Formats: sequence, C-alpha cells, structure tokens
Amino acid sequence: MISLPPWAPRRIYLAGFAIVVALIALLPFIHDNYYWHNQITFTLLIVTAALAWNWLGGLLGQVSFGHAAMFGVGGFVAARLQMSAHFPMLIGWLGGGVIAGSYALIWGHPTLRLRGPYFSIATIGVGEATRLICTYWSWLTGGSSGLSIPVDIDLKHQLYWYALGLAVLALMASYALRKSPLGLSLLAIKSDVDAAADVGVSSSRLQDLVLFLSGLTMGICGGFYASYAGFIEPVDMFGFDRSISFVLMGVIGGIGTIAGPVLGAMVFVVLKESLLAYYPQLYLGLFGISLILVILFEPLGLVGLGMRVLRKPIGERP
Amino acid sequence: MIDLFVSAILLAGLYATMAYGLGLIYGVLRIVNLGHGGMIMVGAYAAFWLHERLGLDPYLSILPVAVAAFFFGIGMYKLLVKRLPRGAAGGVQSLLLLFAVWLLLRNAAYLLFTGNDQTIRTSYSTHSFHIGSAYLSWNRLAVFAVALVILAGLHFLLTRTYLGKAIRAVAQNPDSCTLVGIPVEQVYSFTFGLGTALAAVAGVLGATLFSFNPGFGATELLKSFVVVVLGGLGSVAGTAIAALILASVEVFAILLLPSYLTAAVGFVLLVLVLVLRPGGLFGQRVLG
Repeated sequence: MISLPPWAPRRIYLAGFAIVVALIALLPFIHDNYYWHNQITFTLLIVTAALAWNWLGGLLGQVSFGHAAMFGVGGFVAARLQMSAHFPMLIGWLGGGVIAGSYALIWGHPTLRLRGPYFSIATIGVGEATRLICTYWSWLTGGSSGLSIPVDIDLKHQLYWYALGLAVLALMASYALRKSPLGLSLLAIKSDVDAAADVGVSSSRLQDLVLFLSGLTMGICGGFYASYAGFIEPVDMFGFDRSISFVLMGVIGGIGTIAGPVLGAMVFVVLKESLLAYYPQLYLGLFGISLILVILFEPLGLVGLGMRVLRKPIGERP
Repeated sequence: MIDLFVSAILLAGLYATMAYGLGLIYGVLRIVNLGHGGMIMVGAYAAFWLHERLGLDPYLSILPVAVAAFFFGIGMYKLLVKRLPRGAAGGVQSLLLLFAVWLLLRNAAYLLFTGNDQTIRTSYSTHSFHIGSAYLSWNRLAVFAVALVILAGLHFLLTRTYLGKAIRAVAQNPDSCTLVGIPVEQVYSFTFGLGTALAAVAGVLGATLFSFNPGFGATELLKSFVVVVLGGLGSVAGTAIAALILASVEVFAILLLPSYLTAAVGFVLLVLVLVLRPGGLFGQRVLG
C-alpha cells in the first residue's frame, strides 16, 4: 500500500480518475475516426496549457496576458533542438520547457512584485515584445515564414497518449498546488501579500516557483504543439490571440479552481471549432459576451455554475 | 536629426491625447480601462465612416465623435463598470470585463468593416512644407495642434471649473466627497464618459495619420500605459513630458535598431518603467 499525503483526494475519487484516464487512453482502439483522434489530442494539449496558466492566474491571482511568450519560446527551442542538434523529441520538449521557464523567470521575477492590473499590463508588453523580437530573430524561429518539422505519421498518432500523459501530470500538479500546504501559502499570497509575508510565507520565492512551473509546462506544450502540428510560425505561436485564449479558458471555466481550466479548455476548443467553421465572424464577440457574463454574474465560471446547479456551497471548491 | 526631433514632438501630441483618457479613468475610478484600445479603434472607424458616407472632414468629425463616445462611455459605465467591486480586489475583474468590451468592439468592427486595412484619404493628406531642412506634413501639424487644444481644455476643466474640482476631489478621497455632498456616482460616470471620448478623439486623430483595422488600438493602449505610468496620474504636464519621452525614444530608436524592432521598444520600455518606476517619473500625483 502506498502511503498518500493527508491532503490527497479520497481513494474512491482516485480510482474514478484512474478509470476515466484509462477510458480516454483506450478510446482510439474503439474508434478509428481521425478527426476525433486529432481533436482529442489537441484538446488534451490545450487542457494542459490552460491548467498551467491557471497556476499563475488562478492560484496566485496574477492574470497573465502574455503566456503565449513561453508557449512560443518552448515550441521554437524544442523544434530547433530536434532539427539542428538532432536531440530526441522528449529531450527537445524538456529543453524547450526549461528555457521557457527560465525566460518566464527573467521577466517575471521583477514584474511579479507588481500586483493586480499592473502585472497584467506588464505581461501584455512582455508578450508583444517577445513576439516582435522572435519574429525578427530568424536564426531561432525562421522569421515570418516559420519552421517546418518533419512529422512521422505513426508518431503523430502516438502523440495522443503523450498528450494524455501531459494532461494527467498537469492535473495532478494542479491538485498538489491547490491542496497541499504549499497551496495554502499560495492562497495566502493571493489574498494578501503583506499579511502572508507577516506570517512567514516567502512570497517572492513561491511566486517564482509557480511562475517557473507554469512557464515550464507552457514551454513543453509549445514543444508538443511543434511536433504535433509539424509547422510553426511566430505570429501564431506568440500571437496576442493565443495569450488571450488561455485567459478566456481559465476565466470562463472557473478561475482558481482545478476543474475550471479543464472545462474551459474543452468548451473553448469545441466552440472555436464549431464557430470558426460556421460563423467565423462571431467568435470574438461570443467570447466577449461570455466573459462579461462570467465577471458580472458567476465569478467562478462554469465550475461556479455547476456548483449552483448541484447546490453545493461555494466555499467547498473542487 | 532635427527632422526626427520635430516628428517626435508632433507624435507626442497624439500620444498625450491617447494616454490622458486612460490616466483620467485610472486616477478617478482606479480602473485600468482595457476597453481604451477598442475605443481608439472605434474613433478611427467612426471618422472613416463619416468621411466615406457623408464626406465629412476628419477634423470636423472630432466633435460629433467625441459627443457620441462620451454618451457611449456613460452607458458603458452605468451598464457594466458600476457593478464591479472597487479597489484592489476589483482590479483584475475590471480588467477582464473591459477586455471583454474590447473583444466585442473588435468583433463589431469586423462585422461592419471587414478586417481589411483602411485609411482616410483627404485632399491634403500628402501635402507638406519645409522649414530649413525639415519636412513637415500639414496633417501631423494639425493633429499636434488639436492635441494641444484638447490638453489645454482639459487642464482648464480640471483646475478652473467647479466640476474639475469635484473630479479631483473624488480622485483623492471618494468617501469624504460623499460627506460633503459631491455626487460621487455622477462624477464617476462623467469621468468615464470623458475618458472614453478622449480615446475616440485620439482614434480620429490617429486615423488621419495611420492605416487601421479592427485590431488597431492594441499598440496604442500599451503606449498610453507607458505614458500614464511614466507621467504619473492625471497631471497634464507630466503626461505631456512622458509622451514626449516615449515619442523621442521611438523615433530615435530608428537610428539604432532595424525598423522591425522599433515597435518592440515601446513594449520593453513599458515593462522597464513598470518595474523600475511604478510610481511614475515624478512620483504619484493626483489630478491637476
């Protein structure tokens, strides 16, 4: 019997979670629909990224409008490591992730001292500056024409399980960051930095840690995306629209919760797919309206809505 | 060299107008209006529409656009912004809410005008004259003159009128204002309308100089933020100086950097300013 820390979920929930994961893992053997296979792979990737955004935006309350910077850096570094230095794929992802996490620390360590709107505004600046510099830096990114990574068709099929693995890891990390004693410190920092410092919570060190983890995961997601899409270019990877998409998923799903980003990412992918196919001109506005409704009426987003339906007290966050 | 300096000064006028609306709303309501960029874009399209449909000169459209934007801003305040929690806790929520407004405005612009780049072409768009060795376009000069008039008007409004006094008082301490009978809510909605109108006017001015599309305003918003943070809140002189600093840095960066990277200078400057001088170059100051 493995001993679990006291804050771990009850064994019955763990078993349920394991069953769901196993079902998703077995799904491709039941159907051979390429469209769904690709959609689920992509959704799992986006779920991972949304969870990583939420560590900073939800658990620490530092809403970042610039997370595409780490996504892009991770993607291009991973692609470069594989193409120019011939590293294996996983090492490439990890390398991209570590570089992205370190990059996040470089700009984030000084800016995380800023609270609330100031930090958010600074991240817009970081995101846009990174996009411009990386578009110009064609040695790394191939300039505006981007990079093509040779894709092996079998590997592309297998990436499904890699994506599932990433999403499961990110979900477990989210749970640990939320429920462990460390999570309590994060909550204290989110509520009041000064008061947290008074009771001995080292806010700058913990914020840096969360930022690094978030950047690392974002970078790995970027590297995965590069291997998966086979073609990446700076405007898409670093674009403001990509940064916004993480914010929308986190907030619409339920900011600061664990299930929120998962739900938000799923809704986001489905909505984007269906809207882009039928009403491409309406999709920004629809997200705008959802955001307004969430902020004014249901600050915990879809998770809050679900709890209201289930009549659970809001204090008991999942 | 003189060329560059003159163009920096002329550009600074536009930057100051852009930034003042943002600074005013932040100074009084403590809300970072992310919808600001959207309103700049709306102003540009309004001028474009009036010019194409009614043949109205963009400089004449400033007044109707400003009035319409003022009431739009008041509507936005009453409908949305008023419901937000104030103060530090409401910071991120207000950011997201107004960001959503921006998304809506962008979507509306896509629907009405498509995503293509547009320009306003007038008979005098390309006219210029020269003093010594420096070439000046009439258009840039006119934008600068309008910006000066607006800033002077704002200074007058804030320092010499009863309403301006009320706005400054609310910026300092809304609670005591309630005690002495200043209608705080009305001041808030007036200020929000005024800031929105300023953004739209800046959009009209920008539209006479640059081409624009529904994404117009994003860069302008960030530049406004640089100016606001550099110049301190709501001080007209501080805003003007900060706008001049930003414009000079951008203009002179052309000498040192490849042209593609000059756009990044503003963003880097924004982050640096926020980190190094979050209180502004001249310290925190209240309106006036």
